Amino acid sequence: MGIKWYRIVFKALGIALIAFIIFGPLSSLVLWSIAIKWYWPHVLPQEVGLAYWKQALGLQRDWAIAAVSIWDAFKASIIIACIATGITMIVSIPAAYALARLRLPLKVLFLLFFLMPKVFPQQPIFVNLLPIFTRWGLAGTVQGVILVHILVCLLFGVWISTSAFKAIPESLEEAARSVGATAWQTFWRILMPLAMPGLLVSAIFVLVTSLTEFTGTFFIGLPFVTTLPMLLYSASGYNMQFASVLAIVLLVPSLLLMVLTERIFRPEFLGAVGR
Amino acid sequence: MPEVKLVEVTKRYGKVTAVDGLTLTIEDQEMLTFLGPSGCGKTTTLRCIAGFVIPDSGQIFIGAQDVTRTPPEKRDIGFVFQNYALWPHMTVYQNIAFGLRLRKLPKQEIKNRVHEALNLVRLTGLEDRYPRQLSGGQQQRVALARALVLHPRVLLLDEPLSNLDAKLREEMRFEIRELQRQLKITAVYVTHDQSEALVLSDRIAVLNQGRIEQLGTPEEIYQRPVNKFIATFIGLCSFIECQVIEHESGHTLVQTEDGLNLYVKQTDVVPGQKVVLAIRPEAIKVSLQETQERINTFRGQIMRFAYLGENTDCWLKIGKWDLRVRFPAAQSLTPGQWVWIYLAPDKLIILPA
Repeated sequence: MGIKWYRIVFKALGIALIAFIIFGPLSSLVLWSIAIKWYWPHVLPQEVGLAYWKQALGLQRDWAIAAVSIWDAFKASIIIACIATGITMIVSIPAAYALARLRLPLKVLFLLFFLMPKVFPQQPIFVNLLPIFTRWGLAGTVQGVILVHILVCLLFGVWISTSAFKAIPESLEEAARSVGATAWQTFWRILMPLAMPGLLVSAIFVLVTSLTEFTGTFFIGLPFVTTLPMLLYSASGYNMQFASVLAIVLLVPSLLLMVLTERIFRPEFLGAVGR
Repeated sequence: MPEVKLVEVTKRYGKVTAVDGLTLTIEDQEMLTFLGPSGCGKTTTLRCIAGFVIPDSGQIFIGAQDVTRTPPEKRDIGFVFQNYALWPHMTVYQNIAFGLRLRKLPKQEIKNRVHEALNLVRLTGLEDRYPRQLSGGQQQRVALARALVLHPRVLLLDEPLSNLDAKLREEMRFEIRELQRQLKITAVYVTHDQSEALVLSDRIAVLNQGRIEQLGTPEEIYQRPVNKFIATFIGLCSFIECQVIEHESGHTLVQTEDGLNLYVKQTDVVPGQKVVLAIRPEAIKVSLQETQERINTFRGQIMRFAYLGENTDCWLKIGKWDLRVRFPAAQSLTPGQWVWIYLAPDKLIILPA
């Protein structure tokens, strides 16, 4: 009996700790986003309200509240992320197929090539990219930012898609060929449906990466292209309330996509990916 | 008319020659088995016929057509894989119908042919199941139906039973053989299991290091192996090294270096030649009393034995030579026991040393 009792307490404490680690910072964010007045040493805000939310969502315009409408940045973020994801996946899928199936020389080097933007310190890369982009007239343009996002995202696009294709036994393709399917028909009717869950996960990673991309956008895009992370950056130094609003807004797509990924990766689904 | 013809087919992987100048004709409606140890080139050869592998040199014909460079989908073949290779996102029905749909046949005809194929492999009623809901044996039947539904010119089977448990494997051997006979289809079967090969085949091609060591009916391969490799690979076999002494009244007299004299019915050897005597278990008669035979009778000792149920597997020693024999389980034996051993001259096989 005694042992059981201890166990329950132990479990409860564990759950509480995990909950605190996950929800602690989140609740602080939520609190800050509705705090109108919150001075030390008060534990909770002295005055709460939705003024910052209203201002950020463009529902009110009050010069006393240091927040701007986030709609333009939001739109810019979504458009850039969608286009970047689309192009990244269009490039990634054939590249991943080739990497997964064909006997290519230097395959490892090729895969490492996509890893490059991630292994080197980000700032020097983009600082060096800036003059090149300026020469091409891409600096400070949406196209330039999309291009930078694609560079950063290709890693997830190619690597995850490659493993999605690799997980499919080659005999499934050969079986299709043996009953009369051309290479093209095999790709579309056997390989793509089977790789789809993996490719979706890959696309979700790419989308989230683009939505939250900071460094590249900072060097290439500013001051003309403002995405949500840019707004967050400029607010984060002095304006906790506005920064918190932005952080929550940025969190929403990530959480949604995480849930989606989790659904795609349900065991039954994985079972169908072809052991 | 020969259905499949391989002419000097060679395939290398780096420094390894998987298939080495292989020439072979597979007759119409014949079931031919490639048998050999792993790495002998049997699967690569089969994959060359299927078109999954393009040989470095040589030619492959299916019917009169040179298909050496034809892609697999234009070869009119059926292929059954070791791991079944059913498409997990399609039902049994969709798996079998896939090839028919690619050929744009009318819906009703597809339906009839799929049901006919399911009936053939005795899986009627499982149309709407997904492959993961089927047992291994059922999955392999679906794979077989998927290949047969297209009425291919050649059915290629790559160790189709080796993922199944022993009992099912034995059942399905007969089933596949029965189907092949019933449908009068030309088939090439790859296996490393000698008993599977013996049961299934019209002819067996024993492969070793990318070459055919022997080609013949199961009886020929078992009773007249051409060398030590074949004799070891198929069935139990013991060997005694000896030298040919002379021909004597329709027999050949051979002698071992430790002085054993043996008479063999086979006479296509010359005196002085060094040879190896291959001895199948059926050639050995063991008795506790001295036998009536005047020749080929020796005193030997039982070294050890293993009880196998219906019979006993036994290691004997004559002089310095080890012999392996099987006899009915009933006999009571003790290790170290002395027995009389008779080697039947008409069942001994002389092989090149």
